[in-house]
Amino acid sequence: MNISDFLTVPFLQNAVIGGVLIAVLLSVLSLFVFVKKWSFINIGISHAAFGGLAIGFFLGINPTLIGSIFAISIGLLIGYISKKGQIHEDISIGILLSFSMALGVVVMSFSNNYNSDLFAFLFGNILTITYQDIIIISSFSIISIAFIFYNLEKLMYCCFDEELANISGINTNFLYYATITIIAVATVLSIKLVGSILSSAMIILPAATASQIFWRYKSIILTSVIISVFTVLLGIYVSFEYNLPSGSTIVIIYSLIFFTAVIFKRVFLG
Amino acid sequence: MIKIENLYVEINGNLILEDVSFEVKKGEIVAVVGPNGGGKTTLVKVILGFVQPTKGKVLIEGKNPKDYVKSGKVGYLPQKSSYDRDFPVSVFDVVMFGLINTSLPYKEKEKKVLEYLNYVGMQQYKDYSFGKLSGGQQQRVMIARAIISQPELLILDEPSTGIDVVAQENFYEFIKKINKEKGITVIMVTHDIGAIGSFVNKVVGLNRRLHYLGDFKEFLQKEALDKLYGSEVKLLIHSPECFTCQHFNIEVKKH
Ligand SMILES: Nc1ncnc2c1ncn2[C@@H]1O[C@H](COP(=O)(O)OP(=O)(O)OP(=O)(O)O)[C@@H](O)[C@H]1O
Ligand SMILES: [Mg+2]
Repeated sequence: MNISDFLTVPFLQNAVIGGVLIAVLLSVLSLFVFVKKWSFINIGISHAAFGGLAIGFFLGINPTLIGSIFAISIGLLIGYISKKGQIHEDISIGILLSFSMALGVVVMSFSNNYNSDLFAFLFGNILTITYQDIIIISSFSIISIAFIFYNLEKLMYCCFDEELANISGINTNFLYYATITIIAVATVLSIKLVGSILSSAMIILPAATASQIFWRYKSIILTSVIISVFTVLLGIYVSFEYNLPSGSTIVIIYSLIFFTAVIFKRVFLG
Repeated sequence: MIKIENLYVEINGNLILEDVSFEVKKGEIVAVVGPNGGGKTTLVKVILGFVQPTKGKVLIEGKNPKDYVKSGKVGYLPQKSSYDRDFPVSVFDVVMFGLINTSLPYKEKEKKVLEYLNYVGMQQYKDYSFGKLSGGQQQRVMIARAIISQPELLILDEPSTGIDVVAQENFYEFIKKINKEKGITVIMVTHDIGAIGSFVNKVVGLNRRLHYLGDFKEFLQKEALDKLYGSEVKLLIHSPECFTCQHFNIEVKKH
């Protein structure tokens, strides 16, 4: 395997492009996961998506579509329960997560290839990214990232203090549900490529790492994107060079960078 | 400007506000006073449209509070709440939030933010992390954020909490100034009655029910105080460590 293969072999090209797009999207979202302390939102939504994917497989309808519909519904439900009940999102997630996961497992038990599908759900397979996937991911990423950057200051204001943002004339409910919807769809799209475990790492670790070194949101978002793209590229390369599973390699690199940043902060920034 | 008629608020079966009625005219400065748990913050949240009345009517410029607030004409300083120490915004960013829906060019906004930071004596902290400031410093920044948009109606829930005497005096001077120059209506929840007495037009004494409505002079008469605070007021006046009550004391003696 040679570095130039990444530029010429189609399935590797797709893996690199798809991986980078997902990395950019999830790392931008990671800022909100970080400030809202939503570490479990992605896990919750991916479990919901699992229920949807399972039903999609079982019925022979496009699993990504059913998975997305499930994920968006559960995402909005998480938001609704949290807002109306004035409880933290993680608690709503806990309530809904088990339900949809259980549903998925029950449906899966009717199908024969339970194990292989579950494995793909957990770890994904970046090498199976198709040209069509790339189109879907890139259009969704561009729209979402544009939306987030256009509304970045407003979104931060809402995260800072929703009541105050509301009084300043911001439609806080719309932004809240829009953000949850974007996270839900991004989660579903990323599961197919990188699996639910890596998808969680990609939406939690970038901002958590960047915030060890920078404290202002604009710097955090920029650093998150750089860390993520670098990690994904390095991960794909290392996994090919040494014949390792790509998803797990990427997770390990993410974690190593995170711990390095923690140590860096303790040693150099006090 | 604000009309409150027979307002009742019940939360989880508890009656928090009972049959409260009063009016605020344009350009008035109104102080809302009363003991802890008396429903002052709840009243403010009703005016802001965050809490729905169980019964009764609240109108601001003839509109219901939610619709009025949406127009962005309200400045609000919440009762001091603790902000996340790691929240990734600078002091500058926080004051800038106050201008989010105004259509000034960035340069002008920046100039304004610096002017207001200067005004609350926080200009040298503009590039600090907001979460890492002390409570009183955060309060000053939040004051700058609340007033920077030059609202028509300014609602302040215990603005003087945690800020030192110099900052308090500056702040009250500013309230007087914007009220006079721009005719901004001010509703201020406070325990610091002595310090604001000289310039409020109306005092609303609240302890679930409206116990007092009128001007400041009358309010200081023993009867009104007793009615509002009950036996607590005696306890308060004799407590030397209570800053607010020293003001009370001084003012009470004067009259
Ligand atoms: N969301 C809520 N749920 C339940 N009870 C509430 C809620 N908000 C307020 N209360 C109750 O309403 C009463 C009045 O509270 P409020 O915060 O309005 O008082 P306050 O006059 O602002 O007091 P303080 O001087 O301490 O700020 C209290 O007994 C409080 O427990
Ligand atoms: Mg209060």
